[in-house]
Amino acid sequence: MRVSGIIHQQICQLKWHLLACLGLIMVLPIEEAVVNLKAGDGFFSTNMTFPAIMFGPLLAGLIACANVQGDLNEKRYIFWRSKPANVKLLISLKFFIGLISSLIILACPVVFAFLSNIIWNKEGIDRMFFRFYVPLPILVAIMTYSLCFASNVLVRKTARAWLIGMLMGCLLLVLPFMLPLDYKDFVSDVIFLPFGFYLAIILVASAAAFVFALYAAQHDWHLRTNLKGLLWVVAGLVFVLMMLFSSQIANIKVLHEKEIEPSRGRFRLDNAGDSIVFQGQSYIDIDKNNISLRNISDNPDDRITYMPRMKDYSVQIYPRSGRLYKKAGNDVYSLVIYAYYRREGKARVYEKVYLRSYGFSGKSWIPVCELDISDCLTNRVNFISVAMRIAMRLIGNKVVTCVNDSYIVVDATNPGELKRIETKLDVLKKGRPFFHNRQKEFAIPLVPLEEIGLEERIKLSIDLKYQYRSFKSAIHESSVVDVYDDKIAFFLVTHEDIARFDVTHWDKEKVYCKFSAARPFTILEVMTTSHYSDGTFVKNGKLYSFLNDALMVFDIRSNRRIRRLGHFVRMNYEIEDMAVLEDGKILLCVRRVQDPRKSSPNKRKWYLYLLENPQ
Amino acid sequence: MFRMLLWKEWKENLWKLWFCGAASVVFTIMLFRIRIIPDFANCILISVVQIFAVPVIYSLDIFSGEISNRTIHLLFKIPVKRWMLFFSKYLVSAIGIILIFLISGLLMELMSGGREARMLFLLKTNSLYGMAGLVLFTWFCAFGCQSRSEAGSLVAMFGVFVGWGIVLLWSSLCDVTWAERFVPYSLILMRIIKVGPVGTAFSQILAFVAVLVIACYRYVSIRRYL
Repeated sequence: MRVSGIIHQQICQLKWHLLACLGLIMVLPIEEAVVNLKAGDGFFSTNMTFPAIMFGPLLAGLIACANVQGDLNEKRYIFWRSKPANVKLLISLKFFIGLISSLIILACPVVFAFLSNIIWNKEGIDRMFFRFYVPLPILVAIMTYSLCFASNVLVRKTARAWLIGMLMGCLLLVLPFMLPLDYKDFVSDVIFLPFGFYLAIILVASAAAFVFALYAAQHDWHLRTNLKGLLWVVAGLVFVLMMLFSSQIANIKVLHEKEIEPSRGRFRLDNAGDSIVFQGQSYIDIDKNNISLRNISDNPDDRITYMPRMKDYSVQIYPRSGRLYKKAGNDVYSLVIYAYYRREGKARVYEKVYLRSYGFSGKSWIPVCELDISDCLTNRVNFISVAMRIAMRLIGNKVVTCVNDSYIVVDATNPGELKRIETKLDVLKKGRPFFHNRQKEFAIPLVPLEEIGLEERIKLSIDLKYQYRSFKSAIHESSVVDVYDDKIAFFLVTHEDIARFDVTHWDKEKVYCKFSAARPFTILEVMTTSHYSDGTFVKNGKLYSFLNDALMVFDIRSNRRIRRLGHFVRMNYEIEDMAVLEDGKILLCVRRVQDPRKSSPNKRKWYLYLLENPQ
Repeated sequence: MFRMLLWKEWKENLWKLWFCGAASVVFTIMLFRIRIIPDFANCILISVVQIFAVPVIYSLDIFSGEISNRTIHLLFKIPVKRWMLFFSKYLVSAIGIILIFLISGLLMELMSGGREARMLFLLKTNSLYGMAGLVLFTWFCAFGCQSRSEAGSLVAMFGVFVGWGIVLLWSSLCDVTWAERFVPYSLILMRIIKVGPVGTAFSQILAFVAVLVIACYRYVSIRRYL
């Protein structure tokens, strides 16, 4: 076999296809360059180079099909197979000639953009563009070329082979996103450095397709297809792909959806013993998966808080929104901390802090007891005008209140008569640990309170360490700590993963913890949610993490360590608050954020969603 | 005789209606049930896929099938005018395309029930995409009615898609408003590219009729296969 002759024959065979592809791929950059020239900027192209090279994979597939089809249509195939030709060599030569030709064509818009920018663009060349956006389409083009080549060897129909090759290419590129692959560095590999991940797929797929094409040609494999069957298969595959997609990010069933009246501020769901209080005004009743609201008071104007104002003073409230409820017999009380401050320039000067309890009188909420805890204000001035750190948690009948670096334990057996039982001033150390190396064992200061049990102290210590902040903390209603089988663990959510830390041991002053496992987020999870630990809590062996438009539920007690159970995403909606009911169902309070221009009758709407808890 | 031709084409292309209809219905139900993205965005997503997929499926073998199977010889021997042959094919495809968009639009309305978008908004949007799809198919007929293979038809259809895309880009960049009105995509991008609906509709109808006549003429003048 004359290799040079085959190369010449291949180039002659492909020349019109190559010219057509060259024309197609260069239209957009040249058009942009002409427009730029007309505008007086110079004859160069930048923005249109990317769309042009995005066509590259499609055109490479087209060249591959044209490359094969010429010699595999019936008559020519019989002719050259009757000669003593080395099939593998011939197919290899065809493959590489077509590949090199298509790469040259793909390089044309890039070279044009590069040179025209150097020569005519006054602002210089955008090197980042060439570094980050150019290599990926070219690599994908190599893969689609190989796949189309292999499928055409098998199918021997240009259009069908092209469709099959493209579909396989799409599958290979999309499927890894759909599968819950627990790559250690999945996020960094795929989001920030996509080439490392894709390079493996592209190279392996290309090599496999090439080898397959050689074997198919050698053994004269021929798959007869019909258009109808092919399209049904394609549709079936797309359907399966979408099912995989939805099973990854939309697998929590909505049991009921109820629109609610708009209100000022964020909507809140608070636990009051065995019932959920909505917005401080209504109990939420769930009957056969139906949500209904029952007013606490007959008068809907009654507000849950009665907040005495003081002239020239502003007030900081904890909980910032929502309330901490305590049931005593049939009576419901709510507990709130008020901190009064005045402004001096940019600084906030705190004067008084009160813990107040409110009782429901039958018509409205009235203050029933007030405890002055201003002695916690060992440092009254916040120079940078940020809110003071305040938190509280109800443990049995005791309320632990934290103000700045001090603790007070209050007996709330009868919330109408709050009694201080323990005070510790300036014992809480500030700061949130940032892990330089989370594999190393670390210690958390143990809350030095004697009036509460050790397990609760450890839980509180961990929650205070990671959730005690000035702007927002949900310590009164949730915890990131899980106690199970005499083991204590806690969970932190970062942008990359959910990490589990086990409490290994403790002494009188410190709790010692060690990193145990991490569950990296898949690309879909990262794309649909931006994670940090504000909306993260543990309840009944499950970790709930919600932010903006997404909620994720994880199993944290299975043998497979942290395992995702469910993912709920509703773009354009914002989750304002959530609660887990006694029977495990999830209640969400969501707000529709934005509507597409004139398509919607109302700009904003609020809903309560009842969701099935994924198992 | 024309009715017989219509019946023949209807039977031959019924699977396309089934296929596109079933796929549209299944994907509409799925997307509107899981509601990851808003209803309006779901409608746009489905319509965009439909505008490219449905005309491609209809165009793949509507004309080239007869030529590659060599049944065109038999067809041309039937004592009917050739324009009737063309229009029987075109009408069946057009009815199929319209039905598919209508079904999916109605289903979208039914499933959304005005929960996020105004009533009939989704149907209107999907129908506009359907009209654009039909216009694109008509343009394909002018270019691809003489193609001998599926590959030829596919290239012609993609040529139409990409070609009008380039015209749209050029006319938008250079502010050539009169050209924008002739682009089939302007039917669905009226708000973005700011072309008047009356002018666009008039230009589209004008172009539609002209292209249909050209397509019919090209089909009638097929000589080389006889």
